Amino acid sequence: MSEDSGAVPTPWVLDVSVLAEIARADAGVTRLVLILDGRGQPLVMPVLAAVKASLDARTEDADVALRGLERLENVLVAPLRDAEQAASLAGIIAKTGLEPWDAHVAAVADASACPILTLDAAKWQQHANDLDNPLHVIEVADPDDAPDDPGGSGG
Amino acid sequence: MSDRKARLEITVDPRLSAYAEHLVETGKAPSLSAVVNDALSEKERRDRQALDRLKETAAQADPAKVARMLKHVDAQAAALPGR
Repeated sequence: MSEDSGAVPTPWVLDVSVLAEIARADAGVTRLVLILDGRGQPLVMPVLAAVKASLDARTEDADVALRGLERLENVLVAPLRDAEQAASLAGIIAKTGLEPWDAHVAAVADASACPILTLDAAKWQQHANDLDNPLHVIEVADPDDAPDDPGGSGG
Repeated sequence: MSDRKARLEITVDPRLSAYAEHLVETGKAPSLSAVVNDALSEKERRDRQALDRLKETAAQADPAKVARMLKHVDAQAAALPGR
């Protein structure tokens, strides 16, 4: 889908790793996401992934950051809406062994054929072909960071 | 946007409706409209504060580093099937 056509770009699904960095006020990842939003890139925040990011941080600042993220123009929260979605999510958990929050990310990506924006592409590659549609990932990383510096996304 | 107040038809939870009426009856608020107006103002303030906080965090980033990350992201996005 081309942005030149005026059509809305395919949304990207934010996974727990991205949401956790925003929750803990990582400046680099936060700025990247704001730039993407400013470009009109639709971003989806699966609600269970937000739960995990909040759970890991357990600070008011983290929850404020996640609430701010939700307020961005092109960020949409993907809820867990009804029994059918609950059953579908349970099926994905059973099939992949993913944690519920990761499974919710996978479920949203699978249902909408959207790529996952993540800091941990390797994790998703393991499950790339577990679902009906192949999962595609876009990894947030600084190519200049040394391979042995996995925590270097900040700035 | 006009400063003139808009007339809204809304439905609220019975518990909240009772609370709003209680505020009016006890003189804590001048009207039900004022209660709703205050509640929406508070939500707007909280939302704006959250967004401002996010922007403050982003402003502390190293622009060069973010530019490299963005280029990396763009390259992967361009290589996705169907692009």
